Amino acid sequence: MHVDLQTVRRVFEDVLSGAMSREQADRWAFTVVQQEEAGVVTYSPAREIQRIWAGVMYLYGIDTMKAPGSYLHSDADIRAALDAKLGESADNEVAAGPVWASTGGRRNA
Amino acid sequence: MAVDSHRGLDVASPLDNRVGAGAPASAGVVVHIKQPASSLSASQRLVQAEHELLHQIDRVFFGPFFREKYGKGGDKALENDRIRYYGLIEPASDGGELTGRRYVHEFDTMTGCTRGWHETVDQAGNVRQIRPERSDGSTRHYQFDGNGRYRGSW
Repeated sequence: MHVDLQTVRRVFEDVLSGAMSREQADRWAFTVVQQEEAGVVTYSPAREIQRIWAGVMYLYGIDTMKAPGSYLHSDADIRAALDAKLGESADNEVAAGPVWASTGGRRNA
Repeated sequence: MAVDSHRGLDVASPLDNRVGAGAPASAGVVVHIKQPASSLSASQRLVQAEHELLHQIDRVFFGPFFREKYGKGGDKALENDRIRYYGLIEPASDGGELTGRRYVHEFDTMTGCTRGWHETVDQAGNVRQIRPERSDGSTRHYQFDGNGRYRGSW
């Protein structure tokens, strides 16, 4: 699985525009997390792996609710997170393989 | 994570950061009731100390695998040979008494299995809601009051 900064940014923007539901964004991010644990995710640009991961981890759980039918995060929260975590656009770069150590862990202990 | 002893209690310091302006919020204070020293024999205390040392070794050994990805808000070795890694709290500006949420990742050092859940915390650092990650992809929120009592799920 390949994840780049622009893709993560687009997911944020799609959520904000309504083109993607928060639930869909959450499930997409969960897939990335699962694949990362399996050690099969590549990132680009390689130097932005920390920002990419921060964005993924924000999207993972973005559909958390404070009460039935009421999301915890406002659109303003999400916009602020997008700016804080992803910031300015970065140039494309050669993809990097997994750079974090992986235990190959199994989910649901 | 530093642990201070206060009047028979081990008070773990908040997980790195406090709730506040511009700062990721705290994971709260974890209080473990300590056994009175007199109730343990010397050999029991030695076993306890050895077990605690093993937990700390686990934290150091497994830290590189998980801390950077999941543990920016701190981590904690549990007595059941598991380590919990706490993400930074993502603030919610319109959450009422709820300050924000964080992802918690738990690793079992004995089996290699992991599990995770999302926690929603209030301004006092109490966990008020948990949303486990289920294998079937369904989501359910489990709520607690400010005293930690279970209130129900939805």
